Amino acid sequence: MGPGFDFTDTPVSTGTTIMAVEFDGGVVIGADSRTSSGAYVANRVTDKLTQISDKIYCCRSGSAADTQAIADIVAYSLNYHRNQTSKEPLVWEAASEFRNFCYNYRDSLLAGIIVAGWDEERGGQVYSVPLGGMLTRESCTIGGSGSSFIYGFVREHYRPGMPKEECIEFVKKAVQHAIFHDGSSGGVVRIGIIDKDGIERRLFYNTESGESKIAGSQSFIN
Amino acid sequence: MTLDTAPEVPRAGFNFDNCRRNAALLQGGFKPPTTTKTGTTIVGVIYKDGVVLGADTRATEGPIVSDKNCAKIHYLADNIYCCGAGTAADTEMTTDLISSQLELHRLSTERQVPVVCANNILKQMLFRYQGHISAALVLGGVDKYGPHIYCIHPHGSADKLPYATMGSGSLAAMAVFESRWKPDLTEEEAKLLVRDAIASGIFNDLGSGSNVDLCVIRKDSTEYLRNHELANKKGERQLNYGFKKGTTPILHTSIKDLQITERVQAVPMEIA
Amino acid sequence: MSILAYNGGCVVAMRGKDCVAIATDHRFGVQAQTISTDFKKVFHIAPRMFLGLTGLQTDILTVRDRLMFRKNIYETKENREMAPKPFSAMLSSFLYEHRFGPYFIEPVVAGLDPKTMKPFICNMDLIGCPNEPDDFVVAGTCAEQLYGMCETLWRPDLEPDQLFEVIAQSMVNAFDRDAMSGWGATVFIIEKDKITERSLKTRMD
Repeated sequence: MGPGFDFTDTPVSTGTTIMAVEFDGGVVIGADSRTSSGAYVANRVTDKLTQISDKIYCCRSGSAADTQAIADIVAYSLNYHRNQTSKEPLVWEAASEFRNFCYNYRDSLLAGIIVAGWDEERGGQVYSVPLGGMLTRESCTIGGSGSSFIYGFVREHYRPGMPKEECIEFVKKAVQHAIFHDGSSGGVVRIGIIDKDGIERRLFYNTESGESKIAGSQSFIN
Repeated sequence: MTLDTAPEVPRAGFNFDNCRRNAALLQGGFKPPTTTKTGTTIVGVIYKDGVVLGADTRATEGPIVSDKNCAKIHYLADNIYCCGAGTAADTEMTTDLISSQLELHRLSTERQVPVVCANNILKQMLFRYQGHISAALVLGGVDKYGPHIYCIHPHGSADKLPYATMGSGSLAAMAVFESRWKPDLTEEEAKLLVRDAIASGIFNDLGSGSNVDLCVIRKDSTEYLRNHELANKKGERQLNYGFKKGTTPILHTSIKDLQITERVQAVPMEIA
Repeated sequence: MSILAYNGGCVVAMRGKDCVAIATDHRFGVQAQTISTDFKKVFHIAPRMFLGLTGLQTDILTVRDRLMFRKNIYETKENREMAPKPFSAMLSSFLYEHRFGPYFIEPVVAGLDPKTMKPFICNMDLIGCPNEPDDFVVAGTCAEQLYGMCETLWRPDLEPDQLFEVIAQSMVNAFDRDAMSGWGATVFIIEKDKITERSLKTRMD
């Protein structure tokens, strides 16, 4: 085949760290920002916190193509139901839809997804849809290749009913630890806080202060 | 009359008739044939008020350069262009197909098509084929929401980025971007940066070569700079290997005359 | 060995000044065994257009027949002659239809546009990626040798006589270094008013 050109043929995957925690009145979701294709970082500023509806987000891990495709389909379908019923979709409905795809196509998909958000009925909720397509509700869950490095950290430091700011700090610390230990997680820590008013997004750079060292780059990475 | 076995209009879409036969032939120990690849350097960058796309112009078949000056920046719409890397036939046909879908979309909506639309159609198509269509694309364009660059992988994942590189020379080109890219470049700065990124692919990657193609898309104009720079000029030959007429021994010659003579004769006609 | 090299053979086409040339060898073999020495891989498909096909012999004949069918349908429907450019576009999409189960052939198209008389040459890979350079195109088992020969011998604006010598010498010297091609060659020079077919005397080993 001549010179080996085709590292681009390796499927792109979000070797990832993703995380979500419930607090009273909402959820905190977090993720790193690395997308890799083999050993090459295909995107270092990825946004793995993907919007499904106003107050429902998902954290994607696994194959980038698979998770993007499912997220697009679910977002489309929930939007359709919102238009038909004039009601905001429930987080459980979103999670269940993700589960249906992940379970029915479990042999051809590589997708581990955390669905999190806020709705009128049950407040802040976190659902986990891991590789085989199971669906469980958790109060705190982690996922992606980086998660195996922080099970201990999460077990040690997670307490049910932590206030919002403590949850944010906890998620940030956990993802930072995963980024440090996992080769396929990296970049910045992206955090989203979803409550009855929608989402607030925060960004922590991989620097001592957590702030950017380059002026003016904020607008592109956000 | 149309027969089932020989329809007048061939069936649309892919044809899998030869698959079993070809699999059997390959079982016999033959190597699968090589297809033309654009082991490529392609890049795209957003600048202050538009995007600049860039590509090299080499196509390869294994280690052979099969085209020294091919065009890898494809037209999708007046405001959207797309650079393609991977199997040359795939990038060519995929962009052609999407281009016609976008034109139909534009005609039915009577609006300029947004760049996300091209991105969605492309990624959905590539995802449907599960990576078997090996087209790695850098999609760039300007619409009423501003300039956009998308990086689309063969399996159907897409990233929205301020600057992107693809193909075998993507590492060389990305090195240039990572060291020199800054927000709000001017058009001239952006063109120079893209030129340098492509040149670094041309000179450091074996799969990329020949010339630099650029495409500048602004808010309301597009400039396709084919062979913006001839990075590798062929030397002028001092003498020619001329052959005297009759050098090659000929067994026999036959000439088919195509000259068609025509004579027009006026016929007198009765006027009613 | 690739299936494309199972039967051997090669084709080359060149652009000249207001003319094009296309050449083919005569060998049809099965791997190392030569079966026949009068198999021409170039077909006269329109008054000023030739199609050359190299690769697996069975596919050469199939593709030629299927293309002629599509071309005839086109000409009947449109009531005009098919020019080389749309013909190669048709060929390209025909080959790409078989993207996942391809015909093992590599085509070359050479001709003059019936309206403008502009020279046209084009080749493709087996799944129909078109390539239209302004100098020459090659295909077949001695493509490497042909690239080398053509790259040195070809120059712009060759007159028909000169073009004949250049294409004939390129072809003969290239396939002398290829065991799978040779055993005679034919050159077609296509001009506005005539087509000259010349059989070449070559080594027969």
